[in-house]
Amino acid sequence: MIEVKGLTKRYRDRAAIEGLSFELEEGDILGFLGPNGAGKTTTMRVLAGFLPATSGSAKVAGFDVFEQPLEVKRRLGYLPEQPPLYPDMTVGSYLRFCAEVKGIASKGLKAEIDRVARLTRVDDVLGRVIANLSKGYRQRVGLAQAIIGSPPVLILDEPTVGLDPLQIIEVRDLVRDLAASGKHTIILSTHILQEVTELCRKVLVIKSGKLVDFDTIEGLRSRHVDGKELSLEEIYLRLIDPTGELRHRPAEGATPAPQTPNADAGSAESAPQSAGAPSPEPAPAGAGAETTSSDGEPPTKAAAN
Amino acid sequence: MRNVVAIAKKELNIYFTTPIAYAMFAVMTLLLSYVFAGYLNAFSKLSLEANVNPQIAEYLNATDMIVYPLVVFGGVFVVFIVPFLSMRLIAEEKRQKTFELLMTSPLRPVEIVLGKYLGGVAIMGVAVLIALLFPAILQLFAGSAGTGGSGGIEWRTTLLGFFGLFLWSSAAMAIGMFVSSLTSSQAVSAIVSLLVLLLMWLASWGAMATDGALSEVMNWLSAQRHLHGFARGVFDLKDLAYYLSWIVLGLFLTHRAIEAHRWA
Ligand SMILES: Nc1ncnc2c1ncn2[C@@H]1O[C@H](COP(=O)(O)OP(=O)(O)OP(=O)(O)O)[C@@H](O)[C@H]1O
Ligand SMILES: [Mg+2]
Repeated sequence: MIEVKGLTKRYRDRAAIEGLSFELEEGDILGFLGPNGAGKTTTMRVLAGFLPATSGSAKVAGFDVFEQPLEVKRRLGYLPEQPPLYPDMTVGSYLRFCAEVKGIASKGLKAEIDRVARLTRVDDVLGRVIANLSKGYRQRVGLAQAIIGSPPVLILDEPTVGLDPLQIIEVRDLVRDLAASGKHTIILSTHILQEVTELCRKVLVIKSGKLVDFDTIEGLRSRHVDGKELSLEEIYLRLIDPTGELRHRPAEGATPAPQTPNADAGSAESAPQSAGAPSPEPAPAGAGAETTSSDGEPPTKAAAN
Repeated sequence: MRNVVAIAKKELNIYFTTPIAYAMFAVMTLLLSYVFAGYLNAFSKLSLEANVNPQIAEYLNATDMIVYPLVVFGGVFVVFIVPFLSMRLIAEEKRQKTFELLMTSPLRPVEIVLGKYLGGVAIMGVAVLIALLFPAILQLFAGSAGTGGSGGIEWRTTLLGFFGLFLWSSAAMAIGMFVSSLTSSQAVSAIVSLLVLLLMWLASWGAMATDGALSEVMNWLSAQRHLHGFARGVFDLKDLAYYLSWIVLGLFLTHRAIEAHRWA
């Protein structure tokens, strides 16, 4: 359904993504992970046909994004990082506009707008001006726009940002329902790893524009065993920061375990680890990463220096 | 075509939910009333004199004395108002990130350009229709007063004049839209378009200050000079071609600017 080969996007001389390749089958739900500035948004923009790639190719639903952009766009729902809303329009007229330009037949227009409005719970604000909505509601309107017309491919850039906990759950349920139908291929970027565990079958991690790992969640788990089963968070932190130097580690002993060599990525970054990154007493990684997420403790780095 | 209409509708929706269209209509009506009253006053004074001096009556003509200057004044108004309508057309989409929505919807760049342009031109069409109320009022007034026995105004000349005004608005809108496609700042867009339109309007002054070929070029470039023809009730294909050229050029360049985004 989605086929990316050697995709590179440069902004002048700086590469935002470099040589990215992956493939998704129909019905795949991909969790797209990476630190800030890794190139997630850039990748999604290229796939959605908003940005041209510098080199490489991308196919969506069998059509080349650069050669047959209209065919791709007809099959694609896209929620950009910043929801693309016209502040002066009402929610209803905005969704109507989106439905029209997406080529929904005039007959079914009203029904389709009602459907997506109900799904994203914006049916009670259809008459309100977008500028006056809260951030969470604006995000939902953006999401409603993306799923209008049930496109087979959905690209959602941090869809749950700014939502309240209840709404986050509802959006997850929504994505899950879309996923359950097996007819949608979804790429979802997020910084909430729990979301990925709950929703996605596959995970793609990038860092500084380069692919770090791409596998099913089970695949990742089976490659990153360390005495016990690791959580996705622990795996993610290892992939992104194999040496542990970026992380604020708790002072008392809990550090990431020695490197597990991993197949297709991170091997370059694992080199400096032996060179001299401070790694006091190797401890079971399970405990280490568990505490990593709490920011309260003083970082080892600071303590060591 | 459906996409073009959808975009045009959206543009009009935004023009009319924000104060911008209403503000423009209000300012225009106010200014035109003021100017209209001035010309009307001068005209009625002359009509009084015509009662004692029949020679004046021969030159007395409501169309020449009121409608013609009204159209020319309308042309100046276009220079100052169109930039504030065209500034948002594309710049706003970029600033608001809604450009991303347009560019990832199954729309051809040409549909985006035409839709936006239609929306902008429709607003100016409404403005010209409102301005046409002034000659209509004059018709009522002149008809009932029966001044000079002319029985009101010459509608052919009047309509041609307002058609010229609409052409000039449309050309200005096309140029303004192109400028708007070059920036994400509405302020920059407005200022640059205003300067360009002002230069076009005043090119005939340049023609007066120069001579030879340069003067000819300036004269040809002058939006004002081409409007005069229409306002006098003379239909010249050259004047029509002048405005159409600007429209086509503006649309073409805007299209290029949007296409270029795909290769940026
Ligand atoms: N228009 C641009 N011009 C220049 N550089 C850009 C531009 N847009 C993005 N970049 C750079 O490209 C890199 C990738 O950015 P991108 O927005 O794709 O990251 P991201 O993974 O989405 O990050 P986040 O998690 O913060 O959303 C960053 O280094 C960013 O500074
Ligand atoms: Mg991003």
